[in-house]
Amino acid sequence: MSAQVGRENVVLQSLAQIGACGLFLLRILAALPRSLRHAGETVRQLWFVGAMSLIIIMTCGLFVGLVLGLQLYYVLAIFGGTSATGSVVALAIYRELGPVVTGLLFAGRAGTSITAEIGLMRATDQIAAMEMMAVDPIAYVAAPRFLAGLIAMPLLCCVFCAMGIFGGHLVGVSWLGVDNGTFWSNMTANVDLWKDVINSVIWKSAAFGAVISLIAVFQGYTTAPTSEGVAYATTRTVVASSIAILALDFVLTAFLM
Amino acid sequence: MSQRKSYAVGTGLFIVLGFAALAYLATQTTSVANSHQGVSYTVDAQFANVGQLKEGAPVKVAGVRVGQVQSIALEPGKDVADVTLSIDKKYAQIPTDSVATIYTSGLLGDQYVGVQFGGAKTYVANGGHIGLTKSTQPLEDMLGKFLGGGSAADAIGGTYSVTANFTNVGALAVGAPVKMAGVAIGSVASVKADPVKLNALVTMDIDKKYSQIPDDSAAAIFTSGLIGSQYVAIQPGGSPNSLKDGDQLILTQSAVQLEDLIGKFLVSGSPNSGSNAGNNGNNANNGPSNSPAGKH
Repeated sequence: MSAQVGRENVVLQSLAQIGACGLFLLRILAALPRSLRHAGETVRQLWFVGAMSLIIIMTCGLFVGLVLGLQLYYVLAIFGGTSATGSVVALAIYRELGPVVTGLLFAGRAGTSITAEIGLMRATDQIAAMEMMAVDPIAYVAAPRFLAGLIAMPLLCCVFCAMGIFGGHLVGVSWLGVDNGTFWSNMTANVDLWKDVINSVIWKSAAFGAVISLIAVFQGYTTAPTSEGVAYATTRTVVASSIAILALDFVLTAFLM
Repeated sequence: MSQRKSYAVGTGLFIVLGFAALAYLATQTTSVANSHQGVSYTVDAQFANVGQLKEGAPVKVAGVRVGQVQSIALEPGKDVADVTLSIDKKYAQIPTDSVATIYTSGLLGDQYVGVQFGGAKTYVANGGHIGLTKSTQPLEDMLGKFLGGGSAADAIGGTYSVTANFTNVGALAVGAPVKMAGVAIGSVASVKADPVKLNALVTMDIDKKYSQIPDDSAAAIFTSGLIGSQYVAIQPGGSPNSLKDGDQLILTQSAVQLEDLIGKFLVSGSPNSGSNAGNNGNNANNGPSNSPAGKH
């Protein structure tokens, strides 16, 4: 699989990958009604990709909020605008940092393990065995993981944002002495429920969740059935997800703002 | 089976936590009032200039939000902006001779429409029209009269140093430019507190080629732009003698607090009536007219 290929072959191969990925998405969507029979499996995956990612998401959210509060305070102090710390922290986290950093962490924490798990299933012929037993592997393996990622990302992003605000408040108000009332009133005056919370936090993170879990499931499902193949697939999941998140972020921002 | 149950409980906890976080974000960090849209009626107003007013900007009476700007469009064929205000039904009693003004909240804040009630007994109806309007106040125009602006001082070869005492140097920093007629002629070498006079002693290095500055010139601390840095402006006097190395400028005008300045302007309506904040230069703007040559 990893044989040297010509440059034009690389382009063609990437195009073929994207195309295969799109077709795989259609197969998953077609299998979604059937996967409802395996709702328990979806819950188990939700536990695995969502609940188990909580610790890392909360820690990172807290530190992003802390450093954002600190940096913005010093920059805003130049213009005598430290009272805007709250609103700028909130807007920065809601609009960009929340969805994007959560997405990158999710790709690293959950995406890789999905790819590795499905890749090993493929390598050890478990998927072939399922087909033998007339269990649809798309409905039983791929769809629940895709669904779990789609549901877990917005929830994780909300937790990340809440921790970020908490961190910004901790630095801004408790440490640097921005007035508590000013911090909150400035924030509520500038944060818009639809534009910032619903559009940015929810829709963006849901889109990222769908893309990450699609890439993770696809890479695992189509991996070469060797230990080397699984390793490559896991790496590709992280690389492709990261690029997809950042590129999609630009497009979504342009659309949703 | 018990293992599956613990998955379910953990997942449930996770989902509850996620939605709790969402509820927190939606209720605690946004203002429900901003997006609240109850029963409302619309009123027109024409402005000559809406400045940075945006759709969705608040409409306020006595500082209380009563509605929002629904749309801003250009009146066909005229150079006036037609602003449609959507006002809450419960604030239906706006007199027909009320004045709509575009204000800015704070120095750098967003703009909003303020409505001052008139005395008429009739009220503006749905689809009605507020005839009396005041356009956006161009703060820049207002302040431009006070504040200069420009670039930092060039690198300078030979310099001579001149001192001046100020009661308040504001945020003047070492290295800030010294300007005459808006052109940089030197830089601030040091800013120290004078232990005897209890004010600030500023030493300025001025380029040798500007050696013809009259010794009764005045020094003032200005701000470049609204949030720019401060600099020292030299306003030439009329004395035949020139400044020499080590001289002191007697006529000074200290840094003016922007807040005071704006407050004063808004109250008095004229930039010339603002009193001088300097320690002993009582009218630095026309230095040569009334002051003796100041030499140490």
